[in-house]
Amino acid sequence: MRKLLRTVLKDRSGWFKISMVCAVFICCGLIQSFQVDNQETYVLQYPANFGARFVIPADNPTTKDGVYLGRLLFYEKALSAKNNISCESCHQQKLAFTDGKAFSTGTDGSLTARNSMSLANLLWVRNFFWDGRSPGLEDQARFPLTDPHEMGQPLSESAKKINNTALYPPLFKKAFGSTVITEGQILKALSQFERTLISAGSNYDGYLAGNYKPTAQELRGLQLFESGPDPKNGVRGANCGHCHGGVKTFKELFHNNGLDSLVTDMGREQFTGQSTDRARFRVPTLRNIMLTAPYMHDGRFSTIEQVLDHYNEHIRQSPTLSSFLQDISNEIGGKNLALTRGEKADLIAFLGMLTDSSFISNPAFSNPHPVLNP
Amino acid sequence: MFKTKFSKQSIAASLLLLLCAAFSSFAQNTATLSITGEVTTPLELKLADLASFKQVSHKVKDRDGKEHEFSGVALIEILEKAGVTTGSKLRGENLAKYLLISAADGYEVLYSLAEIDPDFTDQVILLATTKDGQPLANGEGPFRIITPNDKKPARWIREVRSIKVAFAKI
Ligand code: HEC
Ligand code: HEC
Repeated sequence: MRKLLRTVLKDRSGWFKISMVCAVFICCGLIQSFQVDNQETYVLQYPANFGARFVIPADNPTTKDGVYLGRLLFYEKALSAKNNISCESCHQQKLAFTDGKAFSTGTDGSLTARNSMSLANLLWVRNFFWDGRSPGLEDQARFPLTDPHEMGQPLSESAKKINNTALYPPLFKKAFGSTVITEGQILKALSQFERTLISAGSNYDGYLAGNYKPTAQELRGLQLFESGPDPKNGVRGANCGHCHGGVKTFKELFHNNGLDSLVTDMGREQFTGQSTDRARFRVPTLRNIMLTAPYMHDGRFSTIEQVLDHYNEHIRQSPTLSSFLQDISNEIGGKNLALTRGEKADLIAFLGMLTDSSFISNPAFSNPHPVLNP
Repeated sequence: MFKTKFSKQSIAASLLLLLCAAFSSFAQNTATLSITGEVTTPLELKLADLASFKQVSHKVKDRDGKEHEFSGVALIEILEKAGVTTGSKLRGENLAKYLLISAADGYEVLYSLAEIDPDFTDQVILLATTKDGQPLANGEGPFRIITPNDKKPARWIREVRSIKVAFAKI
């Protein structure tokens, strides 16, 4: 082949050579895109009421081979500097992809600055992290892979290590059609897998679909969750839905929910540079919330009861405290939410409806590597 | 005994209030509103930049059920300044344009361009900056949309931070 090229290129004008080279490149390009186009699409399944307000980058369609590769990488410790942790270390399936700790331990034993987040229904997230600083999954994955408090390894090093395995090169070839593993492909494969982590099998989903009959307590909790208090008209409520509501129990909003008067973590201000964003954090999903303690961006509350006590009795004033948490009470002229103990228990019963056991046991999300000593 | 404790608390409280007030005016003066997308001149406006526009006001009932006087600038004027296809240019494919307005907390609402244009409607949609003569409070201002003919104020979006003009593409 090389000989042929050399004879073809010999004694020809420069333009001819250039166009030959171009032709070869275009052919290669066609072959490559043909291979990728030929991939079997992974069909993302979700209830119609979740809606399709999401964007999958045109250069990273979700394919069966890509998702499987991403799953392998999610559980791959070679992606960390000391080969000792993977994404799973901080995002465990049985805990709805959290780790049960206030702060997580990185490859070098140091702690992360914030609490690990649940990875459920990321397909509908547009601004990732507690402060919304990352605009897409492909971009997001760079942080944990390279941050010294997390996996701490340059992407170029990860690509090199993965290239030198027997397992990965053929799988990357299948998923992306090229023989050399690139940094971008690692990010793409991880993102494809993460898009499949859809949690839509809870009792709450069953209730919305008309297939689950909530207990009386769950129904009372749902009612309180959705309603704003209006003591003049005898309506009791906890107003949670204002920020956490909707069928996905996730609206992409950023608020200061009154954890502190004087803050140490600037939250969204760090990213936007606007002082009105001080201590605003993304309102996280409440999906599987009973499995994802400890709570808040710094994991300060170890139980859901403490979270309810916070909203009920301990909202701290500050210039950026959300207006949705000011001057609301179930008592006329009341200073706080004034929920009863029974009502807090009702709310917790409702939050329990958001646990999705099919999500945490779905074999398609589990560690695909053979485990030698289980 | 009780007295000294009480006064200490009230000092702390008034200090906090002072801090809040100072913070609020500082934040309001630095907050910006961006107009981008299908415009000829993208804009990045501060509160002070709006002083040069004609001031308009509306007396309307807000969420609290009480009547308030909101003042500011007609939204259409700002769109014209940015070079959006309004007036005689609002025809043909330009009728498929919309505004996606986003708040600091991520809340978003949508208006079609024709809903705002005076050739189509008598309603003057306001980019309000004051309420009853006072600058809009934190959490509401410095910019808020007031759409008097909307019965439900859900599109009277607070803390407006960006207005994106775009074509509907599907
Ligand atoms: C050492 C622990 C740790 C490891 C390892 C780790 N993460 Fe995370 N993850 C976190 C923490 C902490 C956050 C929140 C960080 C923040 O908001 O600043 C987070 C946030 C995320 C988010 C944002 C979720 C959202 O809703 O915005 C995604 C997605 C994510 N991680 C994916 C991954 C992937 C993929 C990997 C492996 C490449 C990984 N993580 C490895 C701790 C970890
Ligand atoms: C003003 C908007 C707002 C309202 C109203 C609100 N929340 Fe939150 N919620 C937030 C924000 C913002 C966070 C994240 C704050 C942080 O970590 O700094 C949060 C965090 C949480 C968390 C922790 C989630 C996690 O993964 O750590 C729980 C649980 C929670 N809220 C439950 C509730 C309940 C129950 C109610 C009603 C009583 C409620 N929220 C009302 C904005 C709100």
